[in-house]
Amino acid sequence: MSGFLRVAAAVATKDLRTELRSREVVPALGQFVVLALLVANFGFDVGTGADRIAPGVLWLTITFAGLVAFGRTFASERDQSSLEPMLLTPASRAAIFAGKACAAAVLLLVCEAILVPAMGVFFNTPFLSLQLAAALGLATVGMAGLGCLFAALAAQTRARDLLLPVLALPLWIPFVIVGGRAVQVALGGGGEINGALALLLDFDILFVVVASLAAKFVLDD
Amino acid sequence: MSTTQTQLSTGATARTDLLRIAAIADVLLLLLAAGLVAAAPADTVQGVVQKIFYLHVPAAIGAYLAFALVLVGGLVYLWNESPAADRVARVAAEVGLVLTTVTLVMGSIWARPIWGSYWVWWDARLVSTLVLWMVYAGYLLVRRIAAPGRQAGRFAAVVGIVGFIDVPIVHFSVTWWRTIHPPVETAAPAALPAAMLIAFAVSTVAVLLLVAVLIGYRYRVEALRDRVAEAVDR
Repeated sequence: MSGFLRVAAAVATKDLRTELRSREVVPALGQFVVLALLVANFGFDVGTGADRIAPGVLWLTITFAGLVAFGRTFASERDQSSLEPMLLTPASRAAIFAGKACAAAVLLLVCEAILVPAMGVFFNTPFLSLQLAAALGLATVGMAGLGCLFAALAAQTRARDLLLPVLALPLWIPFVIVGGRAVQVALGGGGEINGALALLLDFDILFVVVASLAAKFVLDD
Repeated sequence: MSTTQTQLSTGATARTDLLRIAAIADVLLLLLAAGLVAAAPADTVQGVVQKIFYLHVPAAIGAYLAFALVLVGGLVYLWNESPAADRVARVAAEVGLVLTTVTLVMGSIWARPIWGSYWVWWDARLVSTLVLWMVYAGYLLVRRIAAPGRQAGRFAAVVGIVGFIDVPIVHFSVTWWRTIHPPVETAAPAALPAAMLIAFAVSTVAVLLLVAVLIGYRYRVEALRDRVAEAVDR
């Protein structure tokens, strides 16, 4: 087990160090999430009831940013042909997958850390909320598990950019439904949030387990 | 040429006949079901629109059975890479997707006069059926885009398995949110007149047999296609 964690940590560190040096994904996605708010602002006529549409805008932005972030993790390996050498090592597939998924989740969390304050400025929502952080954090973990599984799959096919949204979005619906409810509560919609957070945690456990079991078959060739 | 033909047809003869008998029987059964549905009394509240359920519910049941077959085929394929299991999963996904389309369209046609709109978002059954459709449309897309053979089989199996797990969770998530779907009427069979029950039973059997016949024929076509591909490779 410690071997598994060591491999996962090494892969995650490698991915995050690459991002730190190349500075590709986070600046681009940071800009993307702010642009998404701009588009939403004019698309929805935010003048009245900005806080009512804020949760929806937040979720749309996160799902699309997630598609790009998770797609990049495996597409970049494919561009450099660096996935095969990694798979030739005796390290377990599940550990490599877990490492890459963790790094991708961290990148998306950083984007969310840009998105939430920007939202506070443009949509008059709270800048800092423990409930919001918990909801987004829990949803991001499960979405990263599923998203990276399908990103790994899509990266090995011809039409990789086409395939990922079609596969990942329907399977993210539980996170969008329950996470959406949690975000509505966190942004002042009323109601209680504990049930939603507990459900998100359940989904995380289930899908992280399923994705790690399936990763072996996706990272096979 | 002629040797190839004999080679391709041998072994399939007995099964072909069984399939053909089943197909003919099912045509008769479907006609009988149509007659029974026409003769069944109209619902006092909903009127003639309620008759959509004689097709809507069996199609939904058939779709779930087909997708269960996709799940089993996928699991068996990941376990032992049997080409037959992969073929079963492939053809069941196609048939299941057609049935899900029928279910969604029929349901929307029913919902328009009864609920006042084609679609509602707070109903668990509607949303999970739509997600089901999306997942297996994605499944067929993976089959088309991935490299044929081992890659397509494995990737599709993963999508089929994860999708099958996801759909009940979507259902549960929306139920947790709220639901206004009417309770399933067959849950209280005593409340239904005999003519309605018989019409429903016959149409269910007819649709399920249709599912089996379609899967059987599609399986044969795929098996022949695989053999042709093998022969060309050799």
